[in-house]
Order: sequence, then C-alpha cells, then structure tokens
Amino acid sequence: MTEEKYIEELRQIIVEGDDDQAASAARAAIDAGVNPTTLIKEAINGPMDDIGKKFQNGDIFLPELIMIGDAARVASDVIVPHISLEDQDAASGGTVVIGTIQGDMHDIGKNIVSAYLMATGFKVKDLGTDVTPKDFVRAVANENADVIAISTLLSTTQPLFDNITKTLVDSGQREDVYVIVGGGPVTPEWAAEIGADGYGRDAADAADLTRQVLTAGKKPPFDKPLVIGALKQ
Amino acid sequence: MNKPEIINILDRSQNGEYCTVKEWDVKRIPKAVKEKLEKYELKGVCDPENPVNMDTDLADRFFKAGYEMALDLGMLCETTDRIIKVSKEELDAALKKAPSELTVGTGEDATVMKTRTPSDPYECKFGASLGITTSEEVWPALTEGIARQKAVDVLEGGSLKSIYGLDVIPDAPSETLVGFEQAKQHVEIRKKAGRPGMGGIGQISAVTEYGQFGGYGIPGALPITDLSLILFPSELKVNYQTLHKVVHTLNVGGMIFAGSPAMIGGMPGPPEGAVLSCIACALLQYPILQADVGGGEIYDIRYLSNVNRDGIWALSVTHQALSRNTNLLTHGITNQVSGPGTKELLYETVVGVSTIAASGATFQTGPRSAGGKLDDYLTPLECRVCAEVAHAASGLPLDTVNEIAKTLLPKFEDSIKDPHIGKIVHDVYDLEKFEPKPEWQQVYDEVKQEAADLGLNL
Repeated sequence: MTEEKYIEELRQIIVEGDDDQAASAARAAIDAGVNPTTLIKEAINGPMDDIGKKFQNGDIFLPELIMIGDAARVASDVIVPHISLEDQDAASGGTVVIGTIQGDMHDIGKNIVSAYLMATGFKVKDLGTDVTPKDFVRAVANENADVIAISTLLSTTQPLFDNITKTLVDSGQREDVYVIVGGGPVTPEWAAEIGADGYGRDAADAADLTRQVLTAGKKPPFDKPLVIGALKQ
Repeated sequence: MNKPEIINILDRSQNGEYCTVKEWDVKRIPKAVKEKLEKYELKGVCDPENPVNMDTDLADRFFKAGYEMALDLGMLCETTDRIIKVSKEELDAALKKAPSELTVGTGEDATVMKTRTPSDPYECKFGASLGITTSEEVWPALTEGIARQKAVDVLEGGSLKSIYGLDVIPDAPSETLVGFEQAKQHVEIRKKAGRPGMGGIGQISAVTEYGQFGGYGIPGALPITDLSLILFPSELKVNYQTLHKVVHTLNVGGMIFAGSPAMIGGMPGPPEGAVLSCIACALLQYPILQADVGGGEIYDIRYLSNVNRDGIWALSVTHQALSRNTNLLTHGITNQVSGPGTKELLYETVVGVSTIAASGATFQTGPRSAGGKLDDYLTPLECRVCAEVAHAASGLPLDTVNEIAKTLLPKFEDSIKDPHIGKIVHDVYDLEKFEPKPEWQQVYDEVKQEAADLGLNL
C-alpha cells in the first residue's frame, strides 16, 4: 500500500468517527514508515475544515463531531510518540484544560469545542460541567496545561470567571497558562475585564483561538485578549 | 405517614439503570431518534420554504413517535449516572392528572392559563422577561416597567448579577440571599405597578437550588400562587439541582414550571430529531418532575436561537403535536438574537411568538433581547410586543402565520449569525417615565403597521 493510501485510510476512519479502527490504522501507517508529522497534518488535521462546514450546514451533528474528536485523539495517541521530541509540541498543539464553570450544567458548547480541539491535534483534559474555580486552577499544575478554556451559557455564572484569573494570579500560576473564554453570554469586553487572553464567539473559533494565543510569541497574561468574532454594535 | 409520590422518582435517580452521560448523549439519544424517525417516516420532512407547519397529521405522527421515545428512554440523572424510566401506565396517569387549567397570581390581576389547540381563540398567555442579567441599579425600574405593560400577563424580570454589591456566585450563600431579597422586591414592584395580584415566575438570579430555597414559597418570598421555575439540561437530563427544586416546590405546595430545550444540531441531530426529543422531554416532565406547566423549547445550537427557518418549523410542529394530542399546559420560548432598538428584534419576535401561539401553546415567556448576552440590554417595549403578538396570533390560522413568517424572515434571517446587539436600556427607554424614547417608539410603530398589513393586529 502506498503512503497516500495509508493517509487516506486513516483520514476516512477519522471522518467516520470510528475510534475502534483509529488506533490500528494509525499503527499500520507508522509501521509502514509513513512520516508521523505528515500523518497528523493530512489525516487528522486536514479534514477539519470540511467537517466544520458540514456541521455549520447541518450535514453532520454533535454526536458525529464528538466521535470524530474521539477518533482523532486515539490516532494521535499512537502517532505523536513517533515524532521527534522537538516536533512533538508543534504536532500535538498543546494541552488544554476545558470545562463549564461552576453552576452551569450545559455541556453542549463545551463538547463542540472539545471535539474541535481534539480533532485538530490538541491534547484535551475535559473537566466536565459545573467545575469550581479551584478545580480549574488545580488542573493547570496536574495536567501541565498550556491553556484553560472556560465556557458558560448562563450569564449568572460569569463572576466566577473572574475568580479563576484572580486565583491564578494569587497562586503564582498566571504566567504559566493562557486563559481563553467563550459561550453564550461571554463578550470580548467581559474577557478583557477579567484579564483573559482570548475570546471566541463560536465553538468553532476555539481551535483557531487556541493556536493563535499559543503562537503569539508572548507569555500570558496578554494586555488585551485576542478576539475572534466581535459582536456587531 | 403518607409516602410522597416523588419518592419513586428519587429512588430511580439513585438506583435506576446505570448509564454514563457520554453514552446517553452520543449513543442512546441518537439511536432512539434514528429509530423513531425511520419507523414513522419522518426523516427529511422539515420544509424550510413553509416554516410554519400546516400538516397537522404530520404533527400527530411526531407525537406518536415522541411518546414512544419518552417511554423507551426516560431521563438520565447526570449527578448519579442513573436512568429514571417511567412505565406507560405512569406516563399516562401523569398526563391525565396534569392540570388543563391553572390560575397564576391572585384576584383581578391573576392569569388563567388553559390548554389550547392550534388556532385556538383562547389567548396564549405571556410572561416577561427572561432572566437576562441586569445591574442592581437598573433592575427595580426595569422590572416595574415590565409589570406596567398591561399586555404582559405574568412577571419574571431579569436576573440580578449582584446583591448589595456582592456578586451572586453559584453555590455561595449569596444565592440564598438573592433568592429572598429579589423575591421581596418582586412582590413590592407588582404593588407599585398597580398589579398586586399579578402572577410571577421565580427564582431566576440563582442557578442552583439555593435561590429556590431562599426565594420561593417561604414567608416573605414569592408566594405559591407564583410559578416555581425549574430548568434542566438537554437532552432529557436532570440532576440533583433540578430534583432539589422539585422537592422544595412540592414541599411548600407550589406550582412547577419546568423546561429544557431540545437542540437542533445537538444530540438529536436534525430539526426532525429535535422535535422528537422535545416532545419526549415535554411529556416526561409530568411524571418525573410533576410539572404543572411544561416546556416545549427548541434552539438551534449553530445560532443559539430558534428564529431561523429550521427553528420556527420545529417549534410549530412540536406545539401542534403537544396541543392536539394532550390537555397539557405547554410553554414555548422565542430565542431572539437582535437587541433593543433594532427592527430585527421585533421581526424575530413577530415570527417566533406568533408561530408558537398559533400552534397551540398555552404560555410563552420572553424576550431574549440581544440573545441574552449583555447586561441591561432589555426594555419593557419588546416585552409588550411579545405579549401583544402572543395574544393577537392566538386565533390565527396556521397558513396566515406561515405567510407572516415567509414575508418577514427575509428581512432578518441573514443577520441571525451575526446580529445587531442594539442598545442598552437607558439609550432607548426612559425608566423614569416608563416609556420608550422616540426612535424606539418609531421602530415599534412601523413594525406594528407591517404586522397589521399581514393580518396580525397588535
């Protein structure tokens, strides 16, 4: 089988969200000598633009998106150890700790973001819903996280966002981790007010936003957040 | 000691079949939806060219499929990963026992909600606003302004972000406090507005059960003649927060107003799947949450709205299905995305609210001005418009409402993805005189005329 065939086969498995087959297809490609960085880029990251469009057009739905994210994570776990250490960070994107804030049990937006991040090569630690500021901050050290991604659908939970950035400052960890925020009631102005490093209006913006904060060449915290999707006045 | 009925549900929430949230979301819901859509030949029947469904037989098929799905699935308690299933006998008994008429409030100011059918001339009632966050400075006058709108039947009002300057934080004692303090003011505001017996909805500023504990059915708080608002996560999930609120409301003898949106594009997939999930969810609220008024809400996760064609179609079918096949008191929400001062907000309101009213819902709440994203982006004027549309559209034939939707949708649908957020309340509404500023009044007058030209007289 040619290198292109291995890449195409894995790409197809990812697009179908088949996490049972993803590991074996990734292993077969690696064993056949396919370049692991190429495999990540073309088989896993490559289809995401198309998948994003299909989701937006209503051709695929959230369960499929989550399964695609799962398949991408399984394949990445097999491939990334075969990439040279200096290239692993670039290939794996970085580690993102994600969750909805305490009091908010709405997990749909968070699940979309999580699926996009996993499918585009980020390692995601999903803390779930109703996550306390203390648990977000604790996860930074435990997971060696590069980014905290916090979302909410409830405007009444917003004061707790502030609590996370303050606790990161007070515990001396603010310079270790980027903070990005999003969700229904979150605005760019609010992101600036609480000292976040990035704001994304839509779940689909999260992967771009994460990549942009990580490659901005600046340590956190930023003077003002990077904004994707400002509101129309 | 008489065993309360709810004990059986609490037992299942602790000891029912084990199922993780992920399995529920990614496997069980999509599988059940797929099976029912195929069995009842409902795949691909959404008609965006006719956003208000006029085929009532189709609505009845959706009802049958949604009823079966309710029995097949039950609801998942996400706190315990246990499924709360109900039998056919339990579901039928709960639907039979549920009220078909309910008085909210007291005396002359009270609102009588009745079960309706599509195009029923009995008015669909309206409660305003949704719990959009408001500052402590704005909240009292804004809430009074809403209560002063005679068209508004039931008062909800915005959520308070803080209480005496202290941020309201989930699980913190500030939630119990805001529950009580806001309820006290809510009761006083109704008196100031000259409608002391007006019905209310609460508790809204606290997300957890502490708001209910502090603010509903206890001395000095919201009376049990108000509705106790109990929201729960989609799809078909409850948790201990939800069940705490239910138990508290039952303990104090109050009225349960439950709701949870089905999500187009989410776990149930296409609009047809969201309709099924919504019907199942609406039905299960009666045996599981002992609802008096139950929700039939649908949003599209791509826009967090339902004023797009898929959303309007799904709302119309859902409410037709529920109102034609049950005697329940059903509730719907129009999820606007544009903000105060914009014509789009009023167009979205006319299309969404008239669809739900004409499709047979008993009760609606709203508006969600500016998508509910921004503090103090809410005025009493759009609350009035919502209520006026709900009343005026109640007796309209479905084909008339479909024509209204077809005419108005092109005026705003392209901006749903990137809406105008409009203006903060002080810029467009005078909260001392309780009247809109001239430019906002003019927008209202123009849209009112356009609605009248289409057969909807506000």
